[in-house]
Formats: sequence, structure tokens, C-alpha cells
Amino acid sequence: MNPLWSNIFRKKHDEESLAFFLGSVPVFSEMNARELSYLESRVHSRTYDSNETVFSEGDPGSGIYMIRTGVVRIFSHDSKGREIEYTTLGPGDFFGETTLTAPAMRAASARTIEKAELIGLFRADLLDTVQKHPVVANKILIGLTRVMSERLQAAGDEIRRLEKNIAEMLATEAS
Amino acid sequence: MADPRGLNRTQLLLLFLVLTAGIATGLAIFTSASRITSLLQTATTGIFLPVLLALVTSFLLEPLVRYIERTRLSRTASIFLVFLLASAGLYLLVRILSPHWAEMWQSLRTDLPRYIASGITLLKHGQAKLLEFFPYIEGYDLSARGRVLGESILTKILSQTTGSALRAGGLMVLVPLFTFFFLRDGQKIIRFSIGLVPNRYYEMAHDLSWLISRQLSHFVRGRILEATIVGTVVWFGLSITDIRYAPILGVFAGVTNLVPYLGPIVGMIPGILIALVDLGLGGQFWWIVIVYLLIAQVILDNFILIPILISHVSNLHPLWVILAIIMGGKLYGVLGMIIGVPVASIVKIIIIEIRYYRRTFTLPTGVLETEPPG
Repeated sequence: MNPLWSNIFRKKHDEESLAFFLGSVPVFSEMNARELSYLESRVHSRTYDSNETVFSEGDPGSGIYMIRTGVVRIFSHDSKGREIEYTTLGPGDFFGETTLTAPAMRAASARTIEKAELIGLFRADLLDTVQKHPVVANKILIGLTRVMSERLQAAGDEIRRLEKNIAEMLATEAS
Repeated sequence: MADPRGLNRTQLLLLFLVLTAGIATGLAIFTSASRITSLLQTATTGIFLPVLLALVTSFLLEPLVRYIERTRLSRTASIFLVFLLASAGLYLLVRILSPHWAEMWQSLRTDLPRYIASGITLLKHGQAKLLEFFPYIEGYDLSARGRVLGESILTKILSQTTGSALRAGGLMVLVPLFTFFFLRDGQKIIRFSIGLVPNRYYEMAHDLSWLISRQLSHFVRGRILEATIVGTVVWFGLSITDIRYAPILGVFAGVTNLVPYLGPIVGMIPGILIALVDLGLGGQFWWIVIVYLLIAQVILDNFILIPILISHVSNLHPLWVILAIIMGGKLYGVLGMIIGVPVASIVKIIIIEIRYYRRTFTLPTGVLETEPPG
């Protein structure tokens, strides 16, 4: 059979669909297929070249980006203008979620390392969803809150650990 | 630079030919470009009004569609339902009012010359009185000017009734059609056009477009609601008296109320003129003045409607209002005068939203500075 024709009637694999990808992102893990297909119509899929800036530190931030393909580097600049890398994210990871609900400036910069496809969900889409489909919006917000609280918890633990370290260091210095 | 004396004849000839060809091409491009723009202009002349009206209607119907959509109906189905409801409402309204209106329109056409003639005599009296105080304005023939103006308005109304009926028929088809597609695909159209923005500015463009469209829909809904309420109040206020044409005067006051500062004044002129001619200076005349000025404008519009419905963000300086009216009138005539100010307010809202956005955040400072080489 001509490969051109055989392809048309093949159904898209579930794993290839955008809805399936969205379901695999922790923020949207609570949502069912119907809600995910609605979300599919609200998110924005953008393709980036390698070494393209997604956003820079201090930009007005208004949403979350999920990486479908490609690698993104999260970094910021020190006082001398050198880049300090925080992390490198790959497919399935997400970043920028802190500005989804509260308008704030981006705390770090993001740049693609290789060709990437990013899925964006922005505050305007979320606010529209709150009005049109409150249930979906609730699930997004609960997922977002869960992810944020986990991060807050981890950050709190880290601060306590560092405080303890400092206290121990001061104690050894004093003795 | 090459010395022209260093060129031989062939080179000079070649240079001359190249220059001529260049100039000719430039001229050809220029004329064809101006022809294309003029073609575009003729092609789009009839489109502007239906598109604008459809935009306004879709802004008005959007909340209703959204409300119905919440009951898990698809968007297209909810739009059809809203259209059905709206057309039923309109049909009922026309059914109740139409015999009334046709009759009123006919009698207004016969009465109008009388009103204009009385208006001119009033003007004459006024000028005679003015002449006593200011003799030097003698050369200025106020009443003749008034008569020319009145006659031109009269002939326009009489001759354009059929033409405007035809145009209204076209609008009746086009406006619902456009409205349907704006309601159904408006989001998609906006999404598509924002999708063309480069990655670096995509997020900002998306955010801004949302903020602006929210402000715009507030503004349009507020203005239309305000005009409707003012028109209704004038209608009822006038129908208490013996004045004729109260519904038409109410509609006129409502429509002119869309234009701030000047609109209400223009809106009350025909009412006061008719009252003066038909009823004379009496209790009813003063009641009509009170309805127009105190009740509709000062109490209702200034103290109740504007603070509730319209944010001060879209307030225009009176100078801008006058400029917008003049420019709108030059472009689209009477209709342009009415929509000029709202359009100017829309432009102001857009500028203010962008400025607000810039103040809250710092804009990204260009792609070149932030992007590393390579």
C-alpha cells in the first residue's frame, strides 16, 4: 500500500496527543479525558529554535510553560553579568508556574538549549476558564497549589537544614 | 565618487537608461500602489458599518452566550439560542411599536417643515433682539443660514428614506451574520492573530490582548446600557406631557447620548423646539426642559449611571471629544460623529492598558540585547 494513503486512516496514538501529554504534567494530573481535551483547546503550543530566549529575568510573567520536546536551561545573572545555572529541564518538566495566578516579574531567565516545543498556559486563559468551566479551573488550581506546597515544604526543609548548619558552625567556632 | 568626465558615451547612455528605468519603475509602483489602496478603499467602504455594529452586538450578546454555555451546551448551540431569543424579543418589540411608528414617521414628515419654519422665526426674533444690543452683527444673516440648513436636512430626510431602508435591509442580513461569526470564532481569530507574534513577545501580547478586550467589552456594554436607560427615561418623561413624538425624541436622546458633552445638548434641541412650537412657554415646556437637563442628564447620567457603568479610565478631555467628532464627521458623516468619540475612547483604553502594563512591569528590552550570539 502507498504509505501516503496508509497514514491517513491510522488513528492518532493516545501517547502522541497533546491531551495525553498534558495529563502527564503533575499540575493537571487530576483531570479526566474530557477536561484535558478542553484544556487542549486553551493552551498554546509554540516551537522554539535552539538558543532562543523564552523569557528573561524581570520580564512580566503571566504563565506556566511545559516542555513537550527539547531542553530548557533556567539561569540568572550575578552582579558581574555572568550566568548562574539553576537547572536544566527536559520533556515533561514545567517552569514559570509561580506567575500563573499572581502577576509578578520572572525571577530567572529561561532559554532553550536545543530545538524545543513548549506548551504555555497563561493567566488570561485560566481566568477565562474560571468563568466558563469552574470545575476545570478548580482542578487546575488544586494541582497548582499541590505542586507549590510541595515546593514550599521542600524549601522550608532546606532553610531549616541550612539554619542548623549555620548554628553548628557558629557553635564550633565559639568553642 | 566617480568623475562624470571619466565616463565615456556608452557608459553615460547606460547610466541615463538605468536612471530612467529606475524612475519609471518607481512611478509605476507608486501609481499602482495608490490604485491598489484606492481599490481597497472602495472595496471596504460598505464593510465598516456592518462590522462595527456586529462587533458592538457581539460584545452585548457575549455575556448571555457565556451564561448559556455554562449549562454544558456547545458554543454554537448557545449562540443559536441567544439569536433565537434576541430575534424573538426584537420581533415582539417591532410588533408592538410598528403601527405606532409608521404613523408617527408619516406625520413627522409633514410636520417637520412647520417645525423648521417656526424655528427660523424664533431665530429671527432672537437676532432682532440681539441687534438691539450688538448692532455690528447686522451683516450676519442668521435666519437665512438657519433656513438653508433646515431645508437641506429636510430634503435629506425626505430623499434618503428609501435609500436608507435599502441600506438597513442590507445591514439586517450582514450584522447578524457577522455577529454570529464574531461570537463563535472571535476567540479563535484573536488567538490566531496573536499566534503570529514572535515567541519573545508572545506572552506579553497574549496578556495585553486579554486586558484590552476585557476593558473594551466593559466600555461598550456600559455605553450602550447608559444610552438605553437615558433614552427610556426621556421617552417616559416626555410622554407624561402632551408632546408628540416622545418615542422618537427618546431614541434620539439615547443615540446622541453616546457622544459625551455635545451629544446631550444636540439630543435635546429637537425636543425643546417641538415643545416650544406645539406647547408654547408654559408648565409643560419647563417640565420637558427639566426632564432633559435635570433628570436625564444631571441626576441619572452624572450621578447614577456614569459612576456605576463607566470607569473614569475612558474619560476623554473635551478637546479630544470635539476633535473626534469633527474627524469622524469628515470620514463618515453623521454616523461618524456618533461613533467617532467611542472609537477615540477605545484607542485611549488601549493606550492606557499598554502604559499600565509597562508601569507594572518593565518591558523586555529587545531581542538583541538578551540573546547570546549564536
